[in-house]
Amino acid sequence: MNGPTNISQIFNKLNDLKAVFVYGERLIPILQSLMDFIKDTVPLLENINHSIADSTSKLPKVANQISSVSIATELATTEILDLVDNVNNEISNVEKTLHTLVEKNEQKDLLQEKLSAMLKDNHEAKELFNQYLSFDDLSKTVNPLFKTFEKIKDDAYNITISLQVQDITSQQLAAVTHLMESVQKRLSTLVQDLEDSAPKTIEPDDLCSTEAVTFDPLARYSKDPYKQEQVDSIIKSELKSTTQAEIDKLFS
Amino acid sequence: MSLKFLVVDDSVTMRRIVVNSLKNLGYEDIIEATDGKDALIRLSADEKINFVITDWNMPVLSGLELTRAIKSDERLSQIPVLMVTTRGVKEDIIDALKAKVNNYVVKPFTPQILREKIDQIIATLN
Repeated sequence: MNGPTNISQIFNKLNDLKAVFVYGERLIPILQSLMDFIKDTVPLLENINHSIADSTSKLPKVANQISSVSIATELATTEILDLVDNVNNEISNVEKTLHTLVEKNEQKDLLQEKLSAMLKDNHEAKELFNQYLSFDDLSKTVNPLFKTFEKIKDDAYNITISLQVQDITSQQLAAVTHLMESVQKRLSTLVQDLEDSAPKTIEPDDLCSTEAVTFDPLARYSKDPYKQEQVDSIIKSELKSTTQAEIDKLFS
Repeated sequence: MSLKFLVVDDSVTMRRIVVNSLKNLGYEDIIEATDGKDALIRLSADEKINFVITDWNMPVLSGLELTRAIKSDERLSQIPVLMVTTRGVKEDIIDALKAKVNNYVVKPFTPQILREKIDQIIATLN
């Protein structure tokens, strides 16, 4: 009774199987081109992997170079500060010497006044003495120099103040080195994931670690007074609100 | 009132700049520390220090931690602390105020600003 039905079911199944084979035959070229594509991309991936590993291995050198730049600028800044100090000391010495000269000249003026009084009857001698005095005008010559010295000192001090740029740029460089450390760590992980053999990881000695170096990643060298004004304004408003909060606390 | 300053900064350059600025303002009694921990050692060793100027970002112990340590120590709490730092965002300033800094200067500072802030602190002391 069930014989024809079973045969019919077998034929149906065979037809399904045939459809699968037909579909498979159509799929084979697609799979083949997919395989070809993967084969083609393997060298590319290997190349990318190699490039990443290569770049990663160069990061410590770059980081160390940045660190060297930071050290060199600090040394150079110290030398400039030393020179500025020397200039200031030399100027102070010259100023002291000139002050002594001026003081002595004032004593000389007193003596000249006395001498002039003694020569009042000797017209020829007095005229010669007046001629001599016209060449002896130390105060008028020296006094403007003091102003010049003050100007030089102010300029030297302003050079000192401008050297704050060294501290700020060294913080910026430390921030860059820190960023490179993070990138290196991530790239190392990526390379490790791409290949079984681990790439050369950066040893602590290879890379000048920024862990011991503290820095402000947002450090900027700007002479814009707005920055300080903004800080003052925040402090003012915070102190005001704190005071008000304290008053409220008292009356609550 | 004679002032003895303690200048705290891990940067040699910045210490020299602040010290030069103080000398330019007529202050001569100045000592230096390289970080917050060094500053606390110097503060405990020298009772004459009555003004601290500190950086924020320093190894071992930061300027903020130093301020907290000074302000929470009964013997040191009266010493004014002036923070001189590159950090200028609101959150940082609020943190510094919570730590009880007496005033705040952002780098790069001008001599006028430094003088103004020191004078403001001195005025409150008197």
